[in-house]
Amino acid sequence: MNLTKDRFGGLLFLLLSVTYGYYAADIPLLPGDRFEPFHAQTLPYWLSGLGIIFSVLLISLKSEPPSQNEVISRSNLVLMLGLMAFTFAFSVALPWLGFPITTSIFLASSYWLLGERRIKMLLFASVPFALVFWLLLTQVLDVYIAPARFIFW
Amino acid sequence: MFEGVFTGLATALMPFNLLMVVVGCFAGTFIGMLPGLGPISAVALMIPITYTLDPSSGIILMAGVYYGAVFGGSTSSILINAPGCASTLVTTFDGYPLAQKNQAGKALALAAYSSFCGGTVGAIILIFAAPALASVSLSFQSSDYFALMILGLTSVAAFSGKGQVIKAMMMTVFGLMIATVGNDVITGAPRYTFGQMDLVDGISFLLLAMATFALAEVMMTIMRGKMYSTSETMKPVALSSMKLSLDEVKEVAPTVARSSVFGFIVGVLPGAGATIASFLAYGLERNLAPERLRKMFGKGALRGLAAPEAANNAASTGSFVPLLTLGIPGSGTTAIMLGALIAYGIQPGPRLYVDHPDVFWSVIISMYFGNLVLLVLNLPLIPYISRLLAIPPQILNPLIIFFSIIGVYLVSFNTFDIQMMVFITLMAVGLKMLNFPMAPMLLGFILGGMLEKNLSRALVVSDGSFDFLWNRPLTFSIMCITLIILLLPWMLNLGKRLGTRLLSAAD
Repeated sequence: MNLTKDRFGGLLFLLLSVTYGYYAADIPLLPGDRFEPFHAQTLPYWLSGLGIIFSVLLISLKSEPPSQNEVISRSNLVLMLGLMAFTFAFSVALPWLGFPITTSIFLASSYWLLGERRIKMLLFASVPFALVFWLLLTQVLDVYIAPARFIFW
Repeated sequence: MFEGVFTGLATALMPFNLLMVVVGCFAGTFIGMLPGLGPISAVALMIPITYTLDPSSGIILMAGVYYGAVFGGSTSSILINAPGCASTLVTTFDGYPLAQKNQAGKALALAAYSSFCGGTVGAIILIFAAPALASVSLSFQSSDYFALMILGLTSVAAFSGKGQVIKAMMMTVFGLMIATVGNDVITGAPRYTFGQMDLVDGISFLLLAMATFALAEVMMTIMRGKMYSTSETMKPVALSSMKLSLDEVKEVAPTVARSSVFGFIVGVLPGAGATIASFLAYGLERNLAPERLRKMFGKGALRGLAAPEAANNAASTGSFVPLLTLGIPGSGTTAIMLGALIAYGIQPGPRLYVDHPDVFWSVIISMYFGNLVLLVLNLPLIPYISRLLAIPPQILNPLIIFFSIIGVYLVSFNTFDIQMMVFITLMAVGLKMLNFPMAPMLLGFILGGMLEKNLSRALVVSDGSFDFLWNRPLTFSIMCITLIILLLPWMLNLGKRLGTRLLSAAD
């Protein structure tokens, strides 16, 4: 039996369903709930069971050949992971550096990562954009955005 | 009914709502043009904006974006042979060959006229079909709703294509699993929160929609390396005259009429949607065409372009029927709209027609306006809108990522949501690479809470017995339909195999 994409997906889902079912036992029940026909653990147990059945079906059935073979290069994968890392960093830096600075850095670094090397473009498409967007939110739409924490240091 | 139509007309004709239709159509056309981003992503990107609007205006904006995105998808299919979404894939078959024959203007005009006719026919049928179905569904009980939700979830999986049924079912279950995260809707017991306070309210629908569609689609585009090739291939061909001759109109008129009605019917089926409607309409027209015209299909046949365009727009309208009347979305896009309506505190379903006639009717009326806007404003402006495609992808993609994350952040003001988005996006990208469909997951997530509530009520009423599934004729009928839909792909496959065997035995 070859480990095809489908079977690999099925195995992952089987693992998820078993773990999901295992943690269903941790859901606290109210006194007397156990004697009710339906309580907080009922659906999770059923879903876990269904998940296991479908996973086993996917693993055991003959998998269809993929309609298109996707070739993902390593460099593109790194780009994607880099962008995700920048997004994560944006969420961490936002409360500390504030909206305009974090947004400017996030945008400029993302443009750079995706191949933009012109300094003028990097700056003009990030700093003014972040400032205008911040002004639009705070001054025009009256949305409260917390100031940067470093200001209070 | 006419009172409701006038209420909807008055709401839809309010200057602000008319502006929303126009803005929605433009924004949708632009987003829909970008390869990889379809109506689902376009509507998901609009959700944060709609939260600041009243329900009618918000849903009108989203409906405008939906139509605009379908139209935008057709435009990029015709001009650059890159369908913006799956439902406009068939448009490339004859649209792009027409553009290569220096008839891009004619192809765009025909696509717009066909879409307009499809949308108009769909809107007219919807005006009569939706209230009729809504009044019938007022008598529905918990068991019927439970059965309907099972039907909706199953049919999305059943129509997901060869080799994808089990995967789609798995994704539906996965969506239902995600819906159980947070405090239990009935008892308030925390489920799968692992002590995290940020998970007590569950995972936000907006976060999930943005991460799995908008963000994941951009990431997939980057991973496939399309963003570098686009700058070369995305040079649109020059537009020519947009006029159609009388003979050409006569040739496509019956096709448009047939495909519109056909598309609407397919669109009403939960889960079928615009993509299947466009493929089926194209196949139907090719089979109906005389031999001389049949040879032209795939080489720039006007009928081949008109049929999928009319069908996908009519199906888009048709998919609103189960959403507005039963509260069950007919497609991924309407699933997002359902989530938005629930966020507004409006429960779509039979009561929507009674409790919020302004929302119900204004959505239907604004659909017609949306089609009109696309025809009158967007079509002449296509040469200018398509210039936006010239924004370098290395600038455009980070901006889309920024709007996706900031849209979620501005609703909750919690940076944990952005971190959660990163996690879900990575998971969605992994699942997409393993060819798992995303729409069933979102549908499962949205319907999860309602399904649990209705199942719980039905079980309590029947004292823990499952006999409610066959004791009530309506519930039983819906369950039978579900079973038929679920078994249909296998039965058809079996029939085909038997036929082939019999033929080979006869030879």
